[in-house]
Amino acid sequence: MRDKVLAGPLELDPFAPDRERLENTLTRRVNADPESVERGLAQLVLTIVELLRQLMERQALRRIDGGTLSEEQIERLGRTFMELDRRMEELREEFGLTEEDLNLDLGPLGRLL
Amino acid sequence: MIELYAISDDPAPPDPPLRAVPCGRLTALCGPASEGAVTAETLWRHEEIVEGLMETRNVLPVRFGTVLEDERAAARAVSGRDAQLTASLDRVRGAVELAVRAQPREPSRDAPGRWGTGRDYIAAKRRRTAEIRMVRESLATAARDSVVQTESEHLRAAYLVDRDAVDDFARLVRRVQRAHPGLDVLCTGPWPPYSFAEAGEPA
Repeated sequence: MRDKVLAGPLELDPFAPDRERLENTLTRRVNADPESVERGLAQLVLTIVELLRQLMERQALRRIDGGTLSEEQIERLGRTFMELDRRMEELREEFGLTEEDLNLDLGPLGRLL
Repeated sequence: MIELYAISDDPAPPDPPLRAVPCGRLTALCGPASEGAVTAETLWRHEEIVEGLMETRNVLPVRFGTVLEDERAAARAVSGRDAQLTASLDRVRGAVELAVRAQPREPSRDAPGRWGTGRDYIAAKRRRTAEIRMVRESLATAARDSVVQTESEHLRAAYLVDRDAVDDFARLVRRVQRAHPGLDVLCTGPWPPYSFAEAGEPA
């Protein structure tokens, strides 16, 4: 394959999950064994949860920018989102999903997240 | 069955087995449809064909897997959207697409004390989104147009860059990378302008 990298870090590993995702898409077959059905369902549910989490986080940042929150409230919001972020990571790991797996390609509308 | 690779307003015949199908003012560049399972290799083959066409003429690239009955069907499909396709072709004339990805270079995700307090977490989020926005904006200054697919803590964008400005753009990416050592910035191309080929189409 020709080299298409015009500029990038020496180590391209951080971008590798994309390639894996492409390969999975290409070889995906309808697979009805219980384990993959469970994983598919988890992927769908976690995608929705991740969408809500990101929306709430952005909303919270806007409220903080609004300047109406006390220091303590800001700290609490931050902790809550930190905890959610961590928890999502654990769930993703549990089901063997990457961050990219929780993103849906909506065609002409772009990506969900 | 034939596969549509690109649309051009240059009627010159391409190398066989590709053929130029006249469609009014435009030309559809077609070839025999590929058969069998879709693999990474078939995607690259499609890509190489479109890039080959792009070397000698201005084209509107067609996405992988656009298969039509025969040349008459191709001519009908293209002629029916003549005005739109001509406008899109004008938009990408003389330019190529460069893809850019930028993401935080992270210490391992589970490093202890990654964020510390709730405030630190929020500050880290802000820093990241602000950094990504700066990257997107500085690169846009060197491009004719851009399409952002995702942007918050990760940037995934396509830039439409004049053919003779590709090296300048790559240099700018390297400068941006140096200015943001906390990010990994990757720029690939030149690609056919897929992301800019469909603008102006009805949603």
